[in-house]
Amino acid sequence: MFRGAFTIWGRDMRVLRRSLFSELVAVTAYPITLYLAFGVGLKGYIADVEGVPYALFIAPGLISMTAVSAAFEESAWSMWFHRKVQRTIEEYRVNPITVYDIVIGKIVSGFSQGAIKGVAVAVVIFLLTPFRFPMAHFLAYLYFIALGSMVFSCFGTMCGTVIDKPENIGRIQGVVIVPLIFMSGIFFPLSSYPATILPVIRVLPTTAIFEGARLSLLGGVMEPVYTVTLTLTAAAAFVLAVWIFNRKIEE
Amino acid sequence: MNNAISIQNITKVYDGIRAVDDLSLEVRSGTIFGLLGPNGAGKTTLIKILTTLMRPTSGNAFVEGKSVLTDGASVRGMIGVVPQVNNLDRYLTARENLALHARMHRMRAREYGPRIDELLELTGLTGRQHDFPDTFSGGMQRRLVVARALIHAPRVLFLDEPTTGLDPQSRRAVWAYIQSLRSTMTIFLTTHYMDEADTLCDRIVIMDHGRPLVDGTAAQLKEAFAHSHVYELEFRANADRYEEVLRTFPFIRSLERRGNSFRLELRDEESLKPLMDGIGSKDLKGICLEEPSLEDVFIHLTGKKIRE
Repeated sequence: MFRGAFTIWGRDMRVLRRSLFSELVAVTAYPITLYLAFGVGLKGYIADVEGVPYALFIAPGLISMTAVSAAFEESAWSMWFHRKVQRTIEEYRVNPITVYDIVIGKIVSGFSQGAIKGVAVAVVIFLLTPFRFPMAHFLAYLYFIALGSMVFSCFGTMCGTVIDKPENIGRIQGVVIVPLIFMSGIFFPLSSYPATILPVIRVLPTTAIFEGARLSLLGGVMEPVYTVTLTLTAAAAFVLAVWIFNRKIEE
Repeated sequence: MNNAISIQNITKVYDGIRAVDDLSLEVRSGTIFGLLGPNGAGKTTLIKILTTLMRPTSGNAFVEGKSVLTDGASVRGMIGVVPQVNNLDRYLTARENLALHARMHRMRAREYGPRIDELLELTGLTGRQHDFPDTFSGGMQRRLVVARALIHAPRVLFLDEPTTGLDPQSRRAVWAYIQSLRSTMTIFLTTHYMDEADTLCDRIVIMDHGRPLVDGTAAQLKEAFAHSHVYELEFRANADRYEEVLRTFPFIRSLERRGNSFRLELRDEESLKPLMDGIGSKDLKGICLEEPSLEDVFIHLTGKKIRE
């Protein structure tokens, strides 16, 4: 079962391995720049945020942002490229595997890339800065990173499945992904929001990812609201991505 | 001899257009079957249905006895597909492309390793096995796609316009390879090239508007149109005047001019006498009866109008 998915995942990992160094350099440059600019550059201007030094406050979010962005990008662009340009999806489909193998293989590839790139940023931040966290909190943090990458990988797969023009994938990133990420309190506490908006912000899946990840890594707390929201979102996104891909293929 | 493919009343409608219209046919095991037709005739749609890439609107088809509707995975396990457009993975080497396909067919490394060596040797790509397909010529890419379709030793091979866009040398290399597969498997081929069908196919069906028009061997189809009365006339001079005269004759079905020569199709044998009476023999250099080619049969059946 899912042997085809494993084969497709293996193919994607083989391709990633070939350009791993350049990929990691490219993917770590942006969050590290943000960390240095905001965490180090503004250190003298921004006091602690809710009792946490600012550089420490933004680090978990930057790692999570790298992971989920990489998961989205890999899934969306890979699915689009394999479907529209290289037409390898059509080649996969004349083999004795199922459409579930294809879509699950692609989702897991996106998730894996997100996880690898998130860890790379974490390692770099760890090496270059005084950012430290209790190792006991790491498993809880991984839960949020893993499910967050899964959600974004599924969303990327949906986009790569239904969007035919590549510029529209870029627009989705600019108009939906980036605002959702930045609204979820990577650089500021959620308490900054007006009380009327805050309940809406709290139920966003991205808030569950970023705020949940921060609370788990820095405080060792698995906030139930965020844990449940993220788990349900990941399950729904997975079912939806598989269903959309299946329908598109049927067409 | 058993049928490798059995198509039963297949219809495919999209956007109100019947791409395939109640088509039924059978293909015997171990033969090379050629499906010919102009663009939009329904050839690729039919191949997509037979390879389970597309579901028919109605009807069913069986490949080696397995239904494309209800047993798609079994069908896909028995077929090899060479699509119209190369869909090689440009981020994998030639060898990795073949290995990926083998793994999709649940082959183990110890099985597919020697098989890949054999196919690379047969297709003349051994020296380039660690290169990426982007660096290959069109002919080499095509040979790699054919090799990929054969990794798992399919019982039925579908080739959708396998030589489109290739130079004559590459076309002949692909032909030679297809001929070497004759009798080891059933081959279902679509093509625009009449010479390709003439050279390779044991049986040919010409289809248009989703329906089969004729069915037989290349020789049978040409023979059936041998009474089509196609003549070639050549004049020494005054070709323009003779063209005007020829165009007035109601018994000439079609007329093509090449310099001082005219290729024309008469309505029947009795039209020859009024033709000769009409043009006289003063400027006539020669007249000969043409043997119809497969292309004549094709054009006669599907018309001259260019399809989009």
